[in-house]
Amino acid sequence: MNRISNVFLVLPMRFAGSKKILVVVSLLVIGILISFRFTKDELVDFNAEVKPILNKKCITCHGGVKAKAGFSVLFREDALANTESGKPAIIPGDPANSEMIRRINLNDPEERMPYRHEPLSDREINILTRWIRQGAKWGDHWAYLPVQKTSVPPKEDPWIKNDVDRFIFERLKENKLSPSQQAGKAILLRRVSLDLIGMYPPQEIAGKYLSNPSEKAYEILVDSLLESKHYGERWAAMWLDLARYADTKGYEADVGREIWKYRDWVIGAFNEDKPYDQFLIQQIAGDLLPDPLDADYIATAFSRNSMTNDEGGTDNEEFRTAAVLDRVNTTWEALMGTTFSCVQCHSHPYDPFRHEEYYSFVSYFNNSRDEDQPGDYPLLRTFNDTLSRELETVTNWVKKYSDEDHSKATKHFLRTWQPAIYANTADSLVNTVIDGNNSDLLLRNNALFRLKKVDLRHADELVFQFNPYTKNGILKLHMDSPDGEVIASIKPALNSKWQISSFPSLQQAGIHDIYFSYSNTSVPVGNQDFHMKINWISFNRQLPGKDQPGYKVVLEKYRSLMKAQVPTTPVMVENPTTIQRATHVFERGNRLTLGKKVEPGVPKSLSMAMPANAPKNRMGLSLWLTNKNNPLVSRTIVNRLWEQLFGTGIAETLEDMGTQGIPPTHKELIDHYAYQLMHDYNWSLKKLLKEFVMSATYRQDSKLTPELREKDPYNKWYARGPRLRLSAEQLRDQHLCISGMMSDKMYGKSVMPWQPSGIWNSPYNGSQWLNSSGEDRYRRAVYTYWKRSSPYPSMISFDGAQRVVCNARRIRTNTPLQALVTLNDSAYVDMAAQFAKRMMREGGKDVKMQISKGYEIMLYASISPEKLKLFMELYHTAFNEFSKDKSSAYSITGEDKELSTAEGAALMVVANALLNLDEVVMKN
Amino acid sequence: MTRQEIHDQRLIREAQRTAMQAHTRRHFLKESAMGLGALAIGSLLGGCGSSSGKYNPVVFDPARPLLPKSPPFSGRAKSVIFLHMAGAPSQLELFDYKPELMKMDGLDCPPSLLAGKQFAFIRGIPKMLGPQANFSQHGESGSWISDHLPHFSSIADEVTFLKAVTTDQFNHAPAQLLVHTGSPRLGRPSLGSWVTYGLGTENQNLPGFVVLSSGGTLPDAGKSVWGSGFLPSVYQGVQCRSEGDPVLFINDPRGMSRNLRKASIDAINKANQQEYEEYQDPEILSRISQYEMAYRMQITAPEVMNIDNEPEYVHEMYGTKPGKASFANNVLLARRLVEKGVRFVQLFDWGWDAHGDHESNALNVGMINKYRSVDKAMTALILDLKQRGMLEETLVVWAGEFGRTPMMENRNGAQNPYKGRDHHTEAFTIWMAGGGIKKGYSYGETDEIGYSAVSGKTEVFDVQATILHQLGFDHEQFTYPFQGRPFRLTDVAGKVIDAIIA
Repeated sequence: MNRISNVFLVLPMRFAGSKKILVVVSLLVIGILISFRFTKDELVDFNAEVKPILNKKCITCHGGVKAKAGFSVLFREDALANTESGKPAIIPGDPANSEMIRRINLNDPEERMPYRHEPLSDREINILTRWIRQGAKWGDHWAYLPVQKTSVPPKEDPWIKNDVDRFIFERLKENKLSPSQQAGKAILLRRVSLDLIGMYPPQEIAGKYLSNPSEKAYEILVDSLLESKHYGERWAAMWLDLARYADTKGYEADVGREIWKYRDWVIGAFNEDKPYDQFLIQQIAGDLLPDPLDADYIATAFSRNSMTNDEGGTDNEEFRTAAVLDRVNTTWEALMGTTFSCVQCHSHPYDPFRHEEYYSFVSYFNNSRDEDQPGDYPLLRTFNDTLSRELETVTNWVKKYSDEDHSKATKHFLRTWQPAIYANTADSLVNTVIDGNNSDLLLRNNALFRLKKVDLRHADELVFQFNPYTKNGILKLHMDSPDGEVIASIKPALNSKWQISSFPSLQQAGIHDIYFSYSNTSVPVGNQDFHMKINWISFNRQLPGKDQPGYKVVLEKYRSLMKAQVPTTPVMVENPTTIQRATHVFERGNRLTLGKKVEPGVPKSLSMAMPANAPKNRMGLSLWLTNKNNPLVSRTIVNRLWEQLFGTGIAETLEDMGTQGIPPTHKELIDHYAYQLMHDYNWSLKKLLKEFVMSATYRQDSKLTPELREKDPYNKWYARGPRLRLSAEQLRDQHLCISGMMSDKMYGKSVMPWQPSGIWNSPYNGSQWLNSSGEDRYRRAVYTYWKRSSPYPSMISFDGAQRVVCNARRIRTNTPLQALVTLNDSAYVDMAAQFAKRMMREGGKDVKMQISKGYEIMLYASISPEKLKLFMELYHTAFNEFSKDKSSAYSITGEDKELSTAEGAALMVVANALLNLDEVVMKN
Repeated sequence: MTRQEIHDQRLIREAQRTAMQAHTRRHFLKESAMGLGALAIGSLLGGCGSSSGKYNPVVFDPARPLLPKSPPFSGRAKSVIFLHMAGAPSQLELFDYKPELMKMDGLDCPPSLLAGKQFAFIRGIPKMLGPQANFSQHGESGSWISDHLPHFSSIADEVTFLKAVTTDQFNHAPAQLLVHTGSPRLGRPSLGSWVTYGLGTENQNLPGFVVLSSGGTLPDAGKSVWGSGFLPSVYQGVQCRSEGDPVLFINDPRGMSRNLRKASIDAINKANQQEYEEYQDPEILSRISQYEMAYRMQITAPEVMNIDNEPEYVHEMYGTKPGKASFANNVLLARRLVEKGVRFVQLFDWGWDAHGDHESNALNVGMINKYRSVDKAMTALILDLKQRGMLEETLVVWAGEFGRTPMMENRNGAQNPYKGRDHHTEAFTIWMAGGGIKKGYSYGETDEIGYSAVSGKTEVFDVQATILHQLGFDHEQFTYPFQGRPFRLTDVAGKVIDAIIA
């Protein structure tokens, strides 16, 4: 600017004295200044000006996927490096000699860049030229920079209630918009209840709010909703899409999986307002916490919600790898709003992540004990209080008569059956077959198989899960070769049931291949039957203290704990040090083409290194994620909670805050609250939500005006309140509340509310949808059994996520099939019947009163005379029909005693219609 | 047009206009392509590695997601009927005539065919199995077709065979997913979803993408083979059923007359109109029209799904028996649906997994019934479409998810009780007809025992690329942004099979 400033200073002095000339000259100078401003030295903003040009015009050929002519503009170091021509295409400070500038200025389309495309505009050429002259500096994308304390715009206005409004107000003014007035009490009550607890509050809370005229009433309502036990259920529904939680394993047979304890953990965590950093640490690395509790393990099922393929003939390693990559992608997309999966095959085409960095990140997840086993191992076995006390007794015993390590190992084994070797990983199979479901080893007579590299240090006991169904068989374990030293000889009793048993083995040192041989003298020669199945094998240390008084009692407890039939949940457990997997880059994403070996690490470009003392495992990773310098984690959750309330994220693409995502409308608001969340709210999501819903922005009326429709049809600047269709879960839960049938029961196994028959029909899977009975028919949507290949149809119609992979955002659609659900699905028809009965019970004798009452139950407001007239007409039409045709009245009401009169059936038709009103399906 | 229809049209137009206006403003008038979100979809970003050309982006209008749209290029086909024989039929018993294989019948499989290969069930050294059928040549094209398909033989001159199709998935679920979604993993949109996303559908009173299944069981990959993956869920296939509601929830509750349903939808819509006057939200207009459409769909869908009133000669032609869940009934339904403007009909027929471990799936027992159950109906479909002048605009595809081995299956190394073949990825046959595909043509050849492709080898992706091409799409440009990159049906593969296009 110096040169320009000088000119400006000199001119007026020379022409001083002539006002007219001064004016002319001033205008001239301003003109020059303006043209300078846009042509010469004005500092170029890399992110706002340069990056969009590079992304749009250059990066397809010179980016992460292709680097034509050896030139890539993805990273600065690559962009400034020598290209195939032997010299760099960009020379900082010297646009005249930069090949890039030369080429974009040419006329010959064969030589000009972008190759065979429209030339760049003068403006674009100008930006790139200035950028190189100014040193070709790279700028970091906003979301990859650390979250800084952001000052709140010093706006004051009577409308403003808190800092949210100050950010919003500023943009409203810039866009010449004014906020709407506050919505009416009834609307706010319904809106904030559906948003915070996903259903209607108990009558006393609603009543208290509606009857309290004070300013404070709303805050009291918000506080009581945040304290409600239903809060956790509502927010769990959001989280389970991200965690791709389902009750089945996916793929062909898509059989059931018991993992609902994870869903319950999420509900509980939201209810106790577990700080978000702890919430994530437990899910990513709960198993690596010192002395993990059951809850710590169960939280790690977040990563175990990946799919397991049981289909015969599938390669377990292929699907184990798929699960690991899925965990990586989920961690990025759910927690960091970044789509990382691109980098699986090549460096990111737009964002600064390198191919190799993907696999460094993979290595954090690559050493868990799961191997795509049909048994979904490793599992956490949850003991009840009695068994927990017995576990305590056993572990204390081991500690007393052996040592701390032994005691820990025993406890770990009894809780997880780990470390175990899965029998189907055996090789050198003779007279041995891996069964069709890829699960068990099947042994014929004279069978032989090998387990490689078994850790026998300290091991003097063999535990295995097996099923012997021919008597007189002997299983022998040989060291190092098929005829090596026998370290155990086992004669299992005939049982023909799956069982877990322990047998002594000779103590050995070191790591060995073990050959298992099976022979049975009572089997005739040539017999090809199978005589034993084996599922897993573990080499352990025996219970110590054989000579001590009480040993037998403890041994009994030890064995019974090992076998106890208890609930299990798939969880994360790390591999023991002897079975560590190395992680390699997959060339072009192909797992069979291994590239360079990589160590655990995080991408460099996020301007936040792994803390120095962090362990190189998932625990370290979880600390990095939740470190206050991590730029993405806090921003992502702030953006997501906003989206849940307002329907659209401040950065609309929740799944992508990178350079390809839609830029945020109120970046400062995200940053401010990301900072607040970490530093002032101590990661409390309830505090953040309270701030959002207490704002005047949230409380606005949602009516549109022609002006708003013109200026801001999508409500991007928030000059009105959110008006959105309810989510699949909110819709079901609301209707259950209205019908008065909502069950208050929390937690437990997933339930099967009414679903038409013939929906489930998977091959090789005899599971049936068994309609739940009693109150389980009326549980909240979050407890509905979720089968991946055939999800609950009415919820899918309303844009529920299939939960096969992480789903960062649901897109709301509006289709006739949705109307058919709320009109005709028997579950909804049943709710209409129950609602009609409630109208009769609470509305008095008069039909008008009953319908008015119904409307009030739904919307906390009085029905308008026009609407009442419409529904009275409908009532009369229905009443006339049912009076003439009693059998229809019986049919429609399911012969319900209270309803199966012409009056009852007619009211039910009205109830069904009321439950389909736009204002009921939407949140106003 | 009735007054009601005029009213509907007006509502639709207004909802559309408002939504599009909003939409355009938000997403399309931006200077930069950076603002593209999931709602404004195009290939402006360029493919992952492909250059961004001038290609009309598909416009997704959440208020009217199924309105008919023009493809970027003029396509030959307007609709698709995809007949999938779930379980993978044997090409060696139907279309791929291999007299040499007969000579090897009963001999041990040469080690060269086994080295480095993995099979689903074959272990050790299996025996070769000669064709379990007699073949003869048919039509002017002289196509070899087995005597298991006497009816189909008569239309040899209407179809193109692809005899050297390959896949890389030898398990049913992943292979079916590959055929329909371009990926062996769950989570990608199916072909029918892509097509309805790109073209919408002609009849707003019917779903745009209908799925019919027979054989008693859903395909191995479940509903994911007609799932919408990352596309909006409105594009997933709608299963029409022959038992229970033909479309889920299409029937009014028992005891509710049509008249009463009409009255109740009228009341709902009038109340919603009052709501609209207060709130001015175009979403309300959209909801009003969705309820009207639902009402009409309640009439249209059961009508289309009811084949009782088809004339006797049609039933005779297809071999249909009203009231039964059968492949034949589904094929007739497919024709009726396409006739009514449905864009994509996908049929699955379960029970083609000819392992020979059971009588029902033995090549020489159960499969013979299976061939009979499809022969007449699939032949009738082609003839019927032709006589109605619909064949040129309807692309019919017949396929399994992979082929079957020239070896006889020996499960777990022991001989199977019946004659059967294991899963085979290296060659199988697909046929296509109509929609601008050559007539009486065969493309691709396998070696003399039908083990692998020797010429004209094609991949599943090529078939997908060709289907999209016939509908007016360049499969490389037809993308949707997801997880940070533009995704397409054919992933990074696929070449249009120009040789088979008429």
